Amino acid sequence: MMYVRALPTTDVNRNTEWFTYPGVWTTYILILFFSWLLVQSIFNCSPGMAWTIVHLAHFAVTYHLFHWKKGTPFGDDQGIYNRLTWWEQIDNGKQLTRNRKFLTLVPVVLYLIASHTTDYQNPMLLLNTLSVFIMVVAKFPHMHKVRIFGINADQ
Amino acid sequence: MITIPYLTAVSTYFSYGLLFAFGQLRDYSRRIFDWWSTNNLHGYAPICLAHEDFYIRRLYHRIQDCFGRPISSAPDAWVDVVERFSNDNNKTLKRTTKSTRCLNLGSYNYLGFGSYDEYCTPLVIDSLKKFSPSTCSSRVDAGTTSVHAELEECVAKYVGKPAAIVTGMGYATNSAIIPVLIGKGGLIISDSLNHTSIVNGARGSGATIRVFQHNTPAHLERVLKEQIAEGQPRTHRPWKKIMVVVEGIYSMEGEICQLPEIVSICKKYKAYVYLDEAHSIGAIGKTGRGVCELLGVDTADVDIMMGTFTKSFGSCGGYIAGSKDLIQYLKYQCPAHLYATSISTPSAQQIISAVKVILGEDGSNRGAQKLARIRENSNFFRAELQKMGFEVLGDNDSPVMPIMLYNPAKIPAFSRECLRENVAVVVVGFPATPLLLARARICISASHSREDLIKALQVISKAGDLTGIKYFPAAPKKQEEVKDTIKLD
Repeated sequence: MMYVRALPTTDVNRNTEWFTYPGVWTTYILILFFSWLLVQSIFNCSPGMAWTIVHLAHFAVTYHLFHWKKGTPFGDDQGIYNRLTWWEQIDNGKQLTRNRKFLTLVPVVLYLIASHTTDYQNPMLLLNTLSVFIMVVAKFPHMHKVRIFGINADQ
Repeated sequence: MITIPYLTAVSTYFSYGLLFAFGQLRDYSRRIFDWWSTNNLHGYAPICLAHEDFYIRRLYHRIQDCFGRPISSAPDAWVDVVERFSNDNNKTLKRTTKSTRCLNLGSYNYLGFGSYDEYCTPLVIDSLKKFSPSTCSSRVDAGTTSVHAELEECVAKYVGKPAAIVTGMGYATNSAIIPVLIGKGGLIISDSLNHTSIVNGARGSGATIRVFQHNTPAHLERVLKEQIAEGQPRTHRPWKKIMVVVEGIYSMEGEICQLPEIVSICKKYKAYVYLDEAHSIGAIGKTGRGVCELLGVDTADVDIMMGTFTKSFGSCGGYIAGSKDLIQYLKYQCPAHLYATSISTPSAQQIISAVKVILGEDGSNRGAQKLARIRENSNFFRAELQKMGFEVLGDNDSPVMPIMLYNPAKIPAFSRECLRENVAVVVVGFPATPLLLARARICISASHSREDLIKALQVISKAGDLTGIKYFPAAPKKQEEVKDTIKLD
């Protein structure tokens, strides 16, 4: 039985401090792996198609959760994070931490797996490339609090 | 230090992910349904944004029957818990007229003053007849009686400071007094696990807030050095005032603050120390004077000592004790003193009588007995739980012991299973605790007898087996068969 230590963090934002505890990265990777198995069993498609579907679904879900939804799901913090997306709140806004590097790497690795297993064939390659491009650009340090063309900005 | 089995951490994240996903699906379908129905807002804005109470609607309401259980008797060692039922899957709960007598492991009744006491209660009833239940006025208007003056002297003497000021509500003591003590241009360094009242007071003060790692004096020193070197944000001028806020016993961990190291660091860097003894006053220390007495810290080194009367004294309200100048300044400036209704006079009388019992001034030694009993009870209970294999937090001598649950499904399972066996426990989950670290918090009282504790241990062990929370191996039973074996050379 492997035990890990859980040290309390100094992050007061209850919405993001759960990401600093041990086990999150493993859970994330395991969820992706199990969803690949699930997609293969439901749609009965080739492994490559399944990875493409997982990659695109991952893009849709994480884009919505990390870069679109703003604020926190509880009212206790009196709305001080209401203008920040989850990606901008994590690690108190500090850029290039280990968590951020990990989260930037995951879509890239998924893209490589998806394109490799579909042999770089065309309709999938275009979709995969577009989604990884958007995902990685959204996570750049320069994009902190930037709203292009006012999309998702507040009034 | 919290040690989690790795598999439990991964499964807890999975469970919360699943709950979150189902909550979002339900929200989407609700939004589609509501598109077709007309809203009854009549032009008013909604009270809260849709995503702000997502957690309450989709996670908390599912297990609402484990929280906020109404009681119908005084919170003694045994308490009457009112039964409730729900027809719509816990969205609304209706009370019945029946109640069950349960062993009370949830009340902060550390010294047993939570119900009828042979010395305190007659005096309180007399005071209720002489003065009224409420003074109906703030302290500066007509709300100061002789009992209030006696209470402030009594508290100051008990805590070991020159003067004290008392307010009617413990939460308001923190949130109304911190803004008066420090303002813009000041720095508040607070422990990462401080109570919400301190966080609210700090946010309301306008000072810059920095957080240091829970109970780690080394990190506090690093934060202090950094902040003093940097100065105020943007202008880099030196800070007007630096205040370090810590608690005596942290109510969610049961840990006692490392006060001697923290006080020495603050003296070195000339920062003020604000000690919140809500749970530790009256419960620890040889004569119940709190964490300073337990750890041998001189009370003159702690600049501001705050505490509440709700836990060990069986009353309501909070106090701040400090130097005479500080208390005089607070009496001129603090809104809780100038505008809020003063503490109710019978409650003040209860505090005075409770302090007299604790110090033995009522002529008996019940106070010393209570203090010894709570220490024995806490140490016995904690040792037995650890022997059974539970993960119990908190230091020795602390009457608060959280038992770690971790998985979100175990929170209602443990609570309901214990209630079925007539033991009332308090379970806490996210967001009061970190996401991963949900726990059941047990508060031991001096009015628990040894049989009560043994029954509680049996019930908790059974519930623990059913929910699978014995994360550590149980201590082996004593080997009694060794005597019969013959040694072969």
